[in-house]
Amino acid sequence: MLDSASFRKGLRDSVVILFAVGAFGLAFGVLAVDAGFSPWLATVSSVLIVSGAAQFTMIGLLSGGAVPILLAATGLGLRHLPMSATLAAVIGPQPLARRLRLAWVLVDETFGLSVRAVAAGVDDIVAYKSAADLMLYSGWVAGTVIGAWFGGSIDPEAVGVGVMLPLLFLGLAAPMIQRRRDWVVAASAVAAALLATLVLPPAWQITGAATLASLVGIGFGE
Amino acid sequence: MSDLGLVLAVAAITYATRLAFLVRPKQVPEGPLGRFLEVFPLALFVVIATSGLAAPSGEPAITPTLAAALGGVAGAILFRRNLWGVLGVGAIFFYSTRALVG
Repeated sequence: MLDSASFRKGLRDSVVILFAVGAFGLAFGVLAVDAGFSPWLATVSSVLIVSGAAQFTMIGLLSGGAVPILLAATGLGLRHLPMSATLAAVIGPQPLARRLRLAWVLVDETFGLSVRAVAAGVDDIVAYKSAADLMLYSGWVAGTVIGAWFGGSIDPEAVGVGVMLPLLFLGLAAPMIQRRRDWVVAASAVAAALLATLVLPPAWQITGAATLASLVGIGFGE
Repeated sequence: MSDLGLVLAVAAITYATRLAFLVRPKQVPEGPLGRFLEVFPLALFVVIATSGLAAPSGEPAITPTLAAALGGVAGAILFRRNLWGVLGVGAIFFYSTRALVG
């Protein structure tokens, strides 16, 4: 798998993720230590959780105790369900160990790249996603280590790292808009995302808005 | 709950949701669920992009990230929806606007 063309393409395509997620990992490391985590615990959380959304939420709610954090993690995690179903359908029957590994780094960024790769006709999507996962995981953990251990003087907001991930998702969405229904889904998603910021708690905004826009898309038909 | 316990619990919840449909091989869902899964990725990506660019601090606001959104759309048009085109033009718009308006 490691020397396949699909794996190499996955590595090339995810260079942008390595740097964008690395910058976010650095921001997480800085903020986690600032919130009271030891550098070790910040690193362990990135190694085990591998979810920027869940981890930033966790340190943001740290002073409120465990219950709101676990509820928020559940709300954020719900968006993984359709991602998990889509990936399972795409990869077909695979050994259990491989499915467990692919699920470990089932995150928005590598899922997005994989969906795009399927549409582009990449032969071996397991190899492709494994490469993207490797890049993302390396960037996320390395960024966290640097931020947690050496990032005391860095202000991630000052350098504007926050803009790169949403731009990445804009870039992933753009080639997926082909048919009239896709335009309807995209427009609904913009409206639902803005509405969700006004009416839903933060942990449910992305899942709720994406679900609503998807339902509008289904209602529109082909 | 200790901080380590909290990290382990969040990791367990997150992994469980990721594993839900991958733990056993399944057929491609058909019907409404299949159609939902077909459109969900696009909806998810647009929602994440919109939240981050049009409401970066949690509610809709006019900030340089809106310029990044405009730049990203312009990049998508100019570079035929190429990912690097979206990122590059979006970043140029963002940093230019931030330099101009602070």
